[in-house]
Amino acid sequence: MSDNNKSVVDIDRSVYDIKDVENEQDFYRMEDGFTEDIVRKISEEKHDPDWMREFRLKSLEIYNKLEMPDWGPDTDELDMNLISSYVRSKSDMKGKWEDVPEDIKNTFERLGIPEAERESLAGVGAQYDSELVYHNVKDEVAAQGVIYTDMESALTGEYADMVHEYFMKLVPPTDHKYAALHGAVWSGGSFVYVPKGVKVDIPLQSYFRLNAAGAGQFEHTLIIVDEGADLHFIEGCSAPKYNVANLHAGCVELFVKKNARLRYSTIENWSKNMYNLNTKRALVEEGARMEWVSGSFGSHTSYLYPMTILKGDHSAMEYTGITFAGKGQNLDTGAKVVHQGEYTSSLISTKSISKSGGIGTYRSSVIINKEAKHAKTSVSCDSLMLDSISRADTIPGMDIRTNDADVGHEAKIGRISDEAVFYLMSRGLSEEDARAMIVSGFANPVSKELPLEYAVEMNNLIKLEMSGG
Amino acid sequence: MSEQSLLQIRDLSASVDDLQILHDINLEIKAGETHVLMGPNGAGKSTLGYTLMGNPHYNVTKGTILFDGQDLTNESADKRAKAGMFLSFQNPLEVPGISLGSFIRNAYHEQTGKPVKLLQYKKQLSEAMDLLTMDGEYADRDLNVGFSGGEKKKAEILQMLMLNPKLAILDETDSGLDVDAVRTVSKGIQEYQKKKDGALLIITHSTKILESLHVDYTHVLVKGHIVTTGDGSLVDEINEHGFEKYIRCEGCDGCNPIN
Amino acid sequence: MNSVLKVNHLPALTYRFLKSNDSEIEIKDFNVKVVNTPEPENIPSAVTFKNDVTEKDITELFADINEKIASKRIGLPGPNGDTSLLNESQTVKTGMGAEIDNLMKEMNVPVSLITAEEGYKVEEPVVISYALNDGDYVLGNQVIHAKKNSEITVIMEYDSEAESNGFLGVQTRLLAEEGAKINLVKVQMLGEKITHFEDIGGVCDTDADIETINMQLGAGKTWGGCRVTLLGDSSVFNNHTGYLCRHKQSYDMNYVADQMGKKTQSNMVFRGVLLDEAEKTFRGTLDFKSGSAGSVGDEQEDTLLLSPDVINRTVPVILCEEEDVDGRHGASIGQLGDDTLFYMESRGIDEETAKKLMIRARMESIARMIPDEALIIRIQQFIRTIL
Repeated sequence: MSDNNKSVVDIDRSVYDIKDVENEQDFYRMEDGFTEDIVRKISEEKHDPDWMREFRLKSLEIYNKLEMPDWGPDTDELDMNLISSYVRSKSDMKGKWEDVPEDIKNTFERLGIPEAERESLAGVGAQYDSELVYHNVKDEVAAQGVIYTDMESALTGEYADMVHEYFMKLVPPTDHKYAALHGAVWSGGSFVYVPKGVKVDIPLQSYFRLNAAGAGQFEHTLIIVDEGADLHFIEGCSAPKYNVANLHAGCVELFVKKNARLRYSTIENWSKNMYNLNTKRALVEEGARMEWVSGSFGSHTSYLYPMTILKGDHSAMEYTGITFAGKGQNLDTGAKVVHQGEYTSSLISTKSISKSGGIGTYRSSVIINKEAKHAKTSVSCDSLMLDSISRADTIPGMDIRTNDADVGHEAKIGRISDEAVFYLMSRGLSEEDARAMIVSGFANPVSKELPLEYAVEMNNLIKLEMSGG
Repeated sequence: MSEQSLLQIRDLSASVDDLQILHDINLEIKAGETHVLMGPNGAGKSTLGYTLMGNPHYNVTKGTILFDGQDLTNESADKRAKAGMFLSFQNPLEVPGISLGSFIRNAYHEQTGKPVKLLQYKKQLSEAMDLLTMDGEYADRDLNVGFSGGEKKKAEILQMLMLNPKLAILDETDSGLDVDAVRTVSKGIQEYQKKKDGALLIITHSTKILESLHVDYTHVLVKGHIVTTGDGSLVDEINEHGFEKYIRCEGCDGCNPIN
Repeated sequence: MNSVLKVNHLPALTYRFLKSNDSEIEIKDFNVKVVNTPEPENIPSAVTFKNDVTEKDITELFADINEKIASKRIGLPGPNGDTSLLNESQTVKTGMGAEIDNLMKEMNVPVSLITAEEGYKVEEPVVISYALNDGDYVLGNQVIHAKKNSEITVIMEYDSEAESNGFLGVQTRLLAEEGAKINLVKVQMLGEKITHFEDIGGVCDTDADIETINMQLGAGKTWGGCRVTLLGDSSVFNNHTGYLCRHKQSYDMNYVADQMGKKTQSNMVFRGVLLDEAEKTFRGTLDFKSGSAGSVGDEQEDTLLLSPDVINRTVPVILCEEEDVDGRHGASIGQLGDDTLFYMESRGIDEETAKKLMIRARMESIARMIPDEALIIRIQQFIRTIL
């Protein structure tokens, strides 16, 4: 698609919209819908061990029993009978970039993935529709004993027992309807293990690309950062725009062991026909630290609330997020944290921008259990309304069960001040540039947490949103 | 040690968040004496004030604080206050819902255990407020809420005058005040010196407030050590020459000050 | 009568596990004895008090203003998890919602109408005292109507013996016409065996002002709802709530400022203390509707937790469909700060006394806004007795 001559600006969204329709005959596509028959077929296709097949079937049962939540964005237009649970290229996963099929490679190259790998990443995984098509780890990182592989290999390989021990223990299929669905039809994703004391200096990255129309992506990411280890993991997502609904119901389970640190950064830019019903959760042990950096720009509808369980004493979490809801989008995002250990601390700071009829909802929960003495939490959420046809809602909840906690919460909603725009215009900026600059400034606390290339990408996305609609 | 000694600090070391701030402080204050503690920023002056008053953030790692014959080293702040110690805060607490007047009355009652004679109390309060040129209406205003910097400092001195401690530690009471306010606060301190025979430990890094006060001893604190002690004239000397000659060499923790 | 009332709906639902989306009042062996509002101690001139008004009269009274409200609705989609439809049937939207209206209807509770005549600023407050006897089940319903450019103050006080059993449920609805001001003060000092609800709903026309003060100091279980619709331009809603919960007392709140007019202002302050095994749920919503350009809203919650066994739930919501608004919420929840304690102790006040002093300060800071010296003293005495 996409006539590349048309747009000249550096913020061309069309790179995300490249589709490879002409090659779909090279793909295996499961029939639409979610039935026991389909789940069995997926299991067979993927050569699951027995326990995993049973797990899938059990999850499907749970999926059929559970209802959609009554509190979130409307999902009535998402017809599950029209979603294909499994689409894969007829080629196998490659360890060398040259071996990836040409059309898929082109897509990723236009998204700048291999370039990023060469320049600044310790390892890269690239998923195309339901399966990983490429996976590679830098030699020196592998030499430290770091495992970074696709979930399927992990399931049957050397780490099979570990996967069995951890898989969907943090996010059980009973958690909610789409966690159950994930358990039934999951496919792809990454497994990462960082051994005790190993500090991975540069980030690992996974890139998810959902190319097929009307497909679902259900990748599973399982990361275990062992005691005293340190990792930064980056996740990027994109998809071309279709007129039919696509579904993403991934699951991320993160185990941060004693005194370890994990930073998990996401720039989500799914196309605006995507239902993004993703579940992310981290279990943080004594003295360990979990950091989330999250940018939500894409999707038609999002339910996304990364959850942190501060289990160990002195464990800590920090969540920095930005959500930009533009035309036609209903993005319901935020964070959840449970304080269990003593001296645990959480810091949640979010920015949300609504424009051109977009609906942005910040939703969170902070739970401080009775045992979590000396817990400390601070929540700050700022919303910016860019016009009067959009919505910006803030719905935080707190449940505090001990007096020995220090709880602070601040929420603000407002607009771009006329004075600020005037000031910038008096220095020669056009009104549009002035507003874009102010919005970038508003987003700055998030972009400064990202590696440079991602911060640039995020700023481009903001500019794109500001000029569009 | 002498019988009349009111405060005796022996080999006192203190830390904040595991950072050692005070090292082996020795200091003795007798009833009615006025001591000045000077030193450059970050020397640990306020830490000494807080440690003496028993702020739980400050840990005594070594040494003892004897006050009026009692060992108060491990006592809570209210016990120290009841024993007759007072600290004037740099940033006093604001409490909506309790008036300044009622707060002082509560504190007075707690310290003496006696019921407050209302008429006598009101008379005292209004005299003290007059002395400090505070509008009587401040007694009915919420404690420090909406007070300017100067009014907060005056309110602290007012509490000192009303609670009548044996030793008042004034932590940078003059900082951020204009000339008139310093004079007024100074008048309050003189009143305390005169009438109540109160001892004073005045923590300051400037000398404005000392101009009209009689000073018995001056101590210079640098990097957590008392590096020299002199009489009132040391104040003038420091006023003229600053602290340079007392600044200890970097990285050296045991040697004598360069004198 | 036996039933369960669903009340205090959060305007936009959230996670079920937070158990804050609504609350239930269980009504068992409910034999309502008293339904008439007690005669006020005094009726100032320019104020009328009618004790036998029907719900139909009230519907008529609010007909014009409800028409204006309807004409302002523009059919934009509500927030995710919108619950507004649940209370669609209400003549006046209240904090607790439609099921309180239903209860009042079912129990045939007559409405008392208190009216301030146009242009009169009535200084003297109208004081209504409910004194519950042991075993009383009482429901009350009032409407306060401040005509154009009038001002009225109504103080409602609820008392009982400490050991009395019973139930007291009151709904008070407010209509502030153009330029009018209603001051509503509610002081609840009931015994701990009494179950209580307090449901308020009000509408402000142009330049009108509703000011509410709520002191919740007693009762075993309490539900409190308050919703004010700022329909007219430049209308104002200010609320100050003070509460003290101890033993196993619970307090479940739902406050909503519905900002529809231009340049409206809302300011809601909540100061509370939880002791022992007390439980509190706070819902507070600023709802900036489309067209509320130039409006500001502020909610501040300050909760002192003084026991390891308390339960504190807080859901501060801001809903917004208008660009030119300024809304904020702040919450500070926890025990007495170290700095506070140290300052108090440095003045010779020990920890226990400091706590009592801070509890009193919090309550006092709200109570002193009540324009009735004698009542303030009774509040002080009540607090002193229970502490």
